[in-house]
Amino acid sequence: MVSITPVRPVKTTAAEPAPRNAGHSPRRRAGFSLKDGAASTLLWVYALISVAPLLLMVTNSFRTTQQMASNPLALPSALNFSSYQKAWVTASFETYFVNSMVVTIASVALSSAVSLLAAYAFARTKSKLFGAIEALFLSGLMLPVYLAILPLFFLLDSLGMISNLWSLVLVYGALGIPFSTFVLASFFRQLPVELDEAALLDGAGPFTTFYRVHLPLVRPAIATVVVFRFVPVWNDFFYPLILIRNQDAYTLPVGITRFFGEYQTDWATLFAGLTLATIPLVVLFLLATRHIVSGLTAGMSK
Amino acid sequence: MSVSTARRRRSTGITLPTRTGMVFILPALLLFGVFVLYPLITALSYSLFSWTGIVRGPFSVFENYVTLFTTLPFREQLPTAFLHNVLLFLGAMLFQNTVGLGLAVLLHRLRRFKRFFQTVFTLPYLVSPLVVGYLWSLMLSPLFGPVNYVLKAIGLGALAQPWLGNPATAIWVVVFVTAWQWVGFPVLLYGAALGGIPDEIEEAASLDGASSWQRFRDVTFPLLTPAIGTVSVLTFIGAMEAFAIPYALGGSQGSPAGATDVLSLLFYRTAFESGASNAIGTSSAIATLLFLFIFGVAILMTWLMRRAERRLY
Amino acid sequence: MRRKLLTLAAVAAGCALMLSGCAPSAAPGKGTASETGDDVTLKVWSWRTEDVEKYNTIFDVYEKAHPGVTVDFEAFQNTEYNQILTTGLAGSDGPDIPMVRAYGQLQPNIAAGQLVPIDGKVDGLDKIAPGVLAGAKGRADGKTYAVPLATQTLQMFYNKDIFAANHVTVPKTWNDFIAVNEKLQKAGVTPMALGAKDDWMLPIFSDIIGAGRYGGSAFEKKVLAGTATFQDPDYVASLQLVSDMKKFLAPDVVGVSYTDSQIQFTSGQAAQFPGGSFEIATFATQAPDLKFGSYQVPLPPKAVATKPVSPAYADGNFAINAKSPHKKAALELLNWLATPEFGQLVADDLNQFSAVPGVKYSNKIMAEAWKNYEKGQAPYLLLVDFRYGEPLGTAVLGQQVQKILLGQQNPAGAASALQTGVSQWFTPAK
Repeated sequence: MVSITPVRPVKTTAAEPAPRNAGHSPRRRAGFSLKDGAASTLLWVYALISVAPLLLMVTNSFRTTQQMASNPLALPSALNFSSYQKAWVTASFETYFVNSMVVTIASVALSSAVSLLAAYAFARTKSKLFGAIEALFLSGLMLPVYLAILPLFFLLDSLGMISNLWSLVLVYGALGIPFSTFVLASFFRQLPVELDEAALLDGAGPFTTFYRVHLPLVRPAIATVVVFRFVPVWNDFFYPLILIRNQDAYTLPVGITRFFGEYQTDWATLFAGLTLATIPLVVLFLLATRHIVSGLTAGMSK
Repeated sequence: MSVSTARRRRSTGITLPTRTGMVFILPALLLFGVFVLYPLITALSYSLFSWTGIVRGPFSVFENYVTLFTTLPFREQLPTAFLHNVLLFLGAMLFQNTVGLGLAVLLHRLRRFKRFFQTVFTLPYLVSPLVVGYLWSLMLSPLFGPVNYVLKAIGLGALAQPWLGNPATAIWVVVFVTAWQWVGFPVLLYGAALGGIPDEIEEAASLDGASSWQRFRDVTFPLLTPAIGTVSVLTFIGAMEAFAIPYALGGSQGSPAGATDVLSLLFYRTAFESGASNAIGTSSAIATLLFLFIFGVAILMTWLMRRAERRLY
Repeated sequence: MRRKLLTLAAVAAGCALMLSGCAPSAAPGKGTASETGDDVTLKVWSWRTEDVEKYNTIFDVYEKAHPGVTVDFEAFQNTEYNQILTTGLAGSDGPDIPMVRAYGQLQPNIAAGQLVPIDGKVDGLDKIAPGVLAGAKGRADGKTYAVPLATQTLQMFYNKDIFAANHVTVPKTWNDFIAVNEKLQKAGVTPMALGAKDDWMLPIFSDIIGAGRYGGSAFEKKVLAGTATFQDPDYVASLQLVSDMKKFLAPDVVGVSYTDSQIQFTSGQAAQFPGGSFEIATFATQAPDLKFGSYQVPLPPKAVATKPVSPAYADGNFAINAKSPHKKAALELLNWLATPEFGQLVADDLNQFSAVPGVKYSNKIMAEAWKNYEKGQAPYLLLVDFRYGEPLGTAVLGQQVQKILLGQQNPAGAASALQTGVSQWFTPAK
C-alpha cells in the first residue's frame, strides 16, 4: 500500500535571494485583534476534532466495558492498568510489536540505503538511460502497486518465503524506493558541483566522494525519508494480511485485526490494545517533528 | 529567473561516469525490478488469460475485460465502486484540501503555537487506519457513540442518524474520516509554500489598499498554484487507490449495501473472497484498468499543472 | 532509437508472458515423506477466535491418546477467513486440517481440488443426519469432503430477569408475542437487540420471525422443485412481519453493529436477542451472571407451518488439505472428530450443538434450545440452499431487509429483488 507523501519543489517568485522572513515580521501588531481571535478559535476547534477520537481511545482504555456501554462519554473513575496488561501479555502484543519493529526498521533501512545510492547516481550523471530509470521509479509513486499482489504472492511462495518476515522487508524496501529516490535526488541535485570537483582534486574516488562529502549534507532529507516511510510501513496491514499466515510472524496491524476478532466485545482490553499500538508512532513523530517540518520546508521554499 | 536556471544547469553536471553510476543504481534497480516491476507486468499479463483456480488456462485476450462490463456482479459493482472513488476525490478536494488550506492560512497568520497545531493536525496520520476506522465506527454508533449523544445534547437531535448504516450517508463518512486522517498533509505542504512567499509581496498588496480577502485571492492564491497542483495530483492518486479506510469502516463488502465499495475493495474481494474459478483473471483485469486509469490521469494532471506553472512564471 | 525502444518493449512483453506462466505452482503437495511414526504436528485452522483456548483443551485430550501427535489450533478473523483460507490452501504454508464453511461456500475449495474426499475413510459419517452431512458434500460430484462440526439453531433469546421485572412470560401465541414486546417497550426497555448494520444478521432475523409464516421445510421443497418462488404471497407476508417488527427495534437500528447488539443484550439494555445457538457460549463468557433462555417465536395468523420452528443449519466442517504432508495423521484426527467422544466435548466445552448424534447437553440453556429444535425444525433456507452461486441469497436478502428497515423498500420489492438475484444462477431441479 503506497502512501503518497509529497515533497515537490515549489518555485517561488524570488528572482534574487530575498531575505526570508521565516519568523516575525515587524509589521505584526503586538495586540490581539478580533480576526486573530476568530482564527485562533477555529484552530482550536479543529484541533479538538483532530484529537477527540484519540482522547476517547485513551480514556476508554481505563474504563470497563459495562461503564462504556452505559455511559459513552465519561472520564474514567480510576486509572486501571489491568486491561493494558491483558492486551500486552495475553493478546501477544509483545510479539506483534517486536515483529513490526523488525520489519519497519529493516525495510526503511534497506530502502533508504539503496535509494541513497541510486539518487546520487541520478543527480550526478547525465544519461538518457538514467533519466528513464528515474522516471520508472517515479511511476511507482503513481501506481497502486498493491494491486500486483497475486504475482508477488506466487513469487514469494515459490521462494518458500510466505509467512516469513523477510518477505515483508524486501517488499516494503522495494516499495519505498520511488518516494525515497525522489526526495533524495532533489536534495543531491542542490549540492554544488564544486564539492565534487574539490574532492576529485583531493584524489577521492566516486564512492568516497559520495560517502564522505555528499552523504552528510543530505541528512535532513534522510530524516524526512525515514519518517515518511516509517509510518506507512508500520501501519500497513494489506501485505501481512495476504503474505503472512503464521501468527507468530504477525505484525501489529494484522495482530490488531485478530485482536478485534477475539476481543470484539471486551472493549476495555480492545482500547488498551489500540492505545498500545498507537503510542510508538506518536513518540517517534514527536521526536522527529522538527526534522519533518524542516525537511518539507527545505524542499519547498528553496 | 535566469540566474537560478543557470545555477540549476551547473549543479547537474556530469561527475559520475556511466559505468560507476550503474553500480550505484544496481541495488535499487534490482530490488525494484523483482518486487515491483515484475509483479506489475505479470499482473497485466494475468489479465489476458482465463484461469481455473491457480492453473492458467488459454490466452483469452480481452475476455476478462468484457466480463467486467457485461456480467453480474461486476457490471453493477464496477461503475458503483468507480463512482465512489470519484466521490472520494471530489470530497477530498472540497473538504480535506480546502480545510487544509484554510488551516494553513490561519496558522501562517497566527504564528503562535504553530508547531503545536501542526503536530495535532498531523497526529491522525500516525494512527493505523484500522484503528481509525474502528474508533469512528464506535463514535458514530447510535447506541454507544458520543457523536449522536452530543448532537442530541446540544439540541441537534434531528441530525442524529445511523451514519454508517444508511447507504446515503455512509460514503460521506468515509470521505470525512479520510479527510480527518490526512488533513495534516495539505496543512504542512501549504504551510511550507506560504512560508516561501516573501512578506514584501503581501505588504505591497496591503499598502495598495487591498483587503485581507482580496490579498488572498489575487496574490497568495495564484502563488500557491504549484502547491495546489501537487496536492491535487496526490489526492487524486490517493482517492483512486483508497483501501484502508473504506475497508476499516465498511469491510471488504463495502457495506452497507455496497455504499462504501471502492475499486481496490472490489479487487480484493474478487481475488481472494469470491471463490470464483477465474478469480485471478478478472481481478487482474480490474487491477490493470485501475493502473492505466490512475497513471493516465496523473500524467495528464501533471502536464496540465506544468503548463499552468509555466504560464504563471 | 524508436526501433530500439520497440524491440525492447517486445522483449519485455515476451519475458512477461513467459514469466507469468511459471509463477504459480500448481504442483501438488510436498510428497508423503513424513508419514513415518515420528512426531507429527497437525495444523488446524478455524475462524472461531472466540474458542481458541477451548479448542486447545479439547485437543489436549486427543494428544494424550495419540502420543507423538501435536495439534496446533489457530484461529483467524472471521471476516477475513475466506481470503486467508484461499491463500493458505494455494500456497505452501497452509493448514493440514482447515475448518471450512458448509454448503455453497465449500464448493470453490472442492472445485479447486484443494480438499481430499473422505467417503469410506472416516467412520461415523453415516450416523450424521443427512441434512447436516449435505453441508459437507460437493454439489457436483456428491462426494463428502469434510466432517461436520456443529448444528446451529435460530431462536429468540430472552433475559429472564427483565421479563420477571416487567411481569411478562414467554409468549405462546402471536398476540402474546406482540403484547410482550409492546409492554417491554412501554417500560423503556429495547424489546429486541438487532445489529442491522451487519447485514448477515438480517436473514437470520427474518427466518426467526417468518419461517413459520412461509412454511419452513415444506416451502423449501417447493422452491427447490420450482413450484414456488420467493415472490410467493406467503414469503412476502413473512417479510411483512419482519417489517412490522421495526418498531420494536432500537431507533436507527441500521447503524447498530452486531457487537453493539450483543453488548445491548448482555448489559441488560435490551430484553431479547434473536440469534443463533452460537451466541450461547458468547453470552455465557461475556456476562456469566446473565440469566437467559430461549423460545421459538409463536406462529402468526395465516402461518403455513403447523407448529413453531427453530430454523437450523450445519455450521463448519473439518476437511483435509490436499497439499498436506501429513494426510495419514490428519485422517486419524478426522476420524476422532466424528466420534461421540469429540461430540460430547463440543457440547460441554464449546457449548455448541454437535453434528454427531447421541450427545447429551448438560447446559440448561442448550438443552432447552435443543428440545425446542427437536419439536419443530426448519432449514435456515437461504444459507442452506441458496449460497451455491453469486450473488448469495443471504447477501441479497440482508441488503434488502436493511433497505426495509431504512424505509426504502417494501416486502414485495425485497422478495422480487431476492428472486432476481438468486435466479442468476439457481435453476430448480425439476
